[in-house]
Amino acid sequence: MENGNTTQAEGKDPSAFLSQIIGNSVTVKLNSGVIYKGELQSVDGYMNLALEKCEEHIDGAKKRCYGDAFLRGNNVMYISAD
Amino acid sequence: MLFFSFFKTLVDQEVTVELKNDILLRGTLKSVDQYLNIKLDQISVVDELKYPHLSSVKNVFIRGSVVRYVHLPGNAVDTALLEDATRREAANSGGKAK
Amino acid sequence: MADVDDGTSAPAEPMDLVRLCLDEIVFVKLRGDRELKGRLHAYDGHCNLVLGDVEETIYVVEEDEDEEEVIRTIHKKSEMLFVRGDSVVLISPQGGS
Repeated sequence: MENGNTTQAEGKDPSAFLSQIIGNSVTVKLNSGVIYKGELQSVDGYMNLALEKCEEHIDGAKKRCYGDAFLRGNNVMYISAD
Repeated sequence: MLFFSFFKTLVDQEVTVELKNDILLRGTLKSVDQYLNIKLDQISVVDELKYPHLSSVKNVFIRGSVVRYVHLPGNAVDTALLEDATRREAANSGGKAK
Repeated sequence: MADVDDGTSAPAEPMDLVRLCLDEIVFVKLRGDRELKGRLHAYDGHCNLVLGDVEETIYVVEEDEDEEEVIRTIHKKSEMLFVRGDSVVLISPQGGS
């Protein structure tokens, strides 16, 4: 419970943004260039991610679908809320 | 600590260590430490081609960080025990690295 | 994280997903265009894994006679395999479709 009335994660730290977007559709790009789209289930301090209904896109082409996917944090370049 | 303990139970077993540069080293697991550095004895040739110059070497110390896989003999692993140990470790550490 | 976990709580963090895969068949994507499918027997916080009855697929780009790039796949089997966590990219229950 913050006293300000900014939209919650605004102006707080990056991990606050991450907890903010849990449950949302996200796009995750890895250092390898591979992109994953899915529903963000959870994040931890290493930026390990759990994605639901996860689609894998390589060179723009949809490659695979995973019901659930765990992504190891060290491979993550960015996470964007769709 | 889980995998350190796990590897300690495999001492004196014949294993094949696959390195990140694709070299395969087969030998007897002699010791492990907390970084999962590995000592192998009685090295034998696994892959003729990928094993050019080490054939005269009898034992090696492998830095844990260069390991990709360790191929293990299936009968040397009690999988039920291992899964229990994994659950216990996950419960203690919340699955987090120390 | 102030929550003292008793190990059986709701899926609060990503590693819980991996915990639910214990003794199940998992699909693992690794660095260097490698994939594994096998039964998960152990893991830790680094994503070190032990898999049983593993099938490994390696994708190699090669040039054919016409200097066209072709992707060759190599399949290997292993009865028990320790995988070092730093190579792991993705873990998924069952295996991709």
